[in-house]
Amino acid sequence: MGKIFKTKLTTATIVLIPACIGINYLGKLFASLLKLPLWLDSIGTCIGACLGGPVIGAICGAANNLIYGLTTGDNITLIYAITSLGIGLVVGILARMGFMKTFPKSFVCALGGGLAAVCISTPLNILFWGGTTGNVWGDALFAATQASGMSVGLGSFLDEIVVDVPDKIITIIIVYLIVKGLPKKLTALYDVNAETERLD
Amino acid sequence: MKSISLYVEKGSWLNKLHPYTKLLYILTAIMIPLTGGKLWLFPVMIVSSLVLLLSGRIIKRALPLVGFSFTLIIVIFLIQGLFNHNNETVLFSIGWITFYKEGTLFATRIGCNILNMLLAFGVFVLTTSPQDLVDELEKSGFSPKFGYVINSVFQILPQMMATKDTITDAQRSRGMETEGNLLVRMKAFLPLISPVVMSSLINTRERAIALDVRGFGRKQKKTWLYDRPKCKWDPVARVILIGLMIITIVWRVL
Repeated sequence: MGKIFKTKLTTATIVLIPACIGINYLGKLFASLLKLPLWLDSIGTCIGACLGGPVIGAICGAANNLIYGLTTGDNITLIYAITSLGIGLVVGILARMGFMKTFPKSFVCALGGGLAAVCISTPLNILFWGGTTGNVWGDALFAATQASGMSVGLGSFLDEIVVDVPDKIITIIIVYLIVKGLPKKLTALYDVNAETERLD
Repeated sequence: MKSISLYVEKGSWLNKLHPYTKLLYILTAIMIPLTGGKLWLFPVMIVSSLVLLLSGRIIKRALPLVGFSFTLIIVIFLIQGLFNHNNETVLFSIGWITFYKEGTLFATRIGCNILNMLLAFGVFVLTTSPQDLVDELEKSGFSPKFGYVINSVFQILPQMMATKDTITDAQRSRGMETEGNLLVRMKAFLPLISPVVMSSLINTRERAIALDVRGFGRKQKKTWLYDRPKCKWDPVARVILIGLMIITIVWRVL
């Protein structure tokens, strides 16, 4: 288990964090440009988690929301720093356990990330917005559950699941394709199990 | 290149204030109505943020911030006003749609909270440059490596935006459709994002080497080129803000 959380805090991993935060922003931007009904704003966090491990993933996630919250004034993002941290952590742990090695296995990773997001976001949604998420499809479902008399907790939970799990599945598919395509000379920088071979 | 930061230098007293004082203001503005528990405290804090924004001559820039939260507030009003579990008293009806008092009151509370938070953050965000914030954080013992992470985001993003435009143009010129039904737009996502992501990840390797060569990993204490002029209002503002918070807590407990 000790290996899972092993982190190399080298210059390479530190430089990876801002790049991942940039990728998060880009994903969100493209999703809104193409008018996709998803967020896709955690691609960078997941890449960070896959390359650098759970600790770097968690830092990427939390720093992402804190930086955008404190500079673009979007403080709705700020509250979800804990969610992003959870996603980075869970995806990082699952990736280190080998769930990003093959395409079918990566779905476990996606489900893990999605459920982490749901479990952390639901209480935040209830606490701050009375259960809504701000996503059209999820909120329509929430309205329907409330109209049929379901409890706020359950309604909000369903609201999150409908939005977050598909979002994370697509995110992880994209991350899987990208990470597989990265050159070895780059991924070797982040490999914690790498050993330097000496010829002398 | 356009920065994502909303900061504007107006030379106002808010610009000169220490970033921590403004962070303390956010804390006060959010905490007072929540601990005080009275609905009228929200408008009081909202008006005080508006006055601050006015005195800093940045009120026009704060409006778009508020604008994008309106959809969220409207959705909350609709859902809570129509379907809240405690709904009993009818407030008003439009045709067959009936708004209830309890839900609307609940939505008002949440809506006020959102507006209050947005404006309080607006005061901070519009008057504090990210560079300034990072410098002050580092001076009070924050790791310079993470200071670099924050500063670097602001350098990397404009670069990535430029790459993004290039890639979008390149893919369009190859005949890729970016408009149409959902499937077409879904399919466009990967060819658009993956080249940008790939190139920015590959760039990190070069950046890491460049930083290492310049002594990024050195443990010596760093010095600062720019010294922040002290603002005489800082201690006064801090005392007032902390005082207000203590008064609210005492008032609530009594």
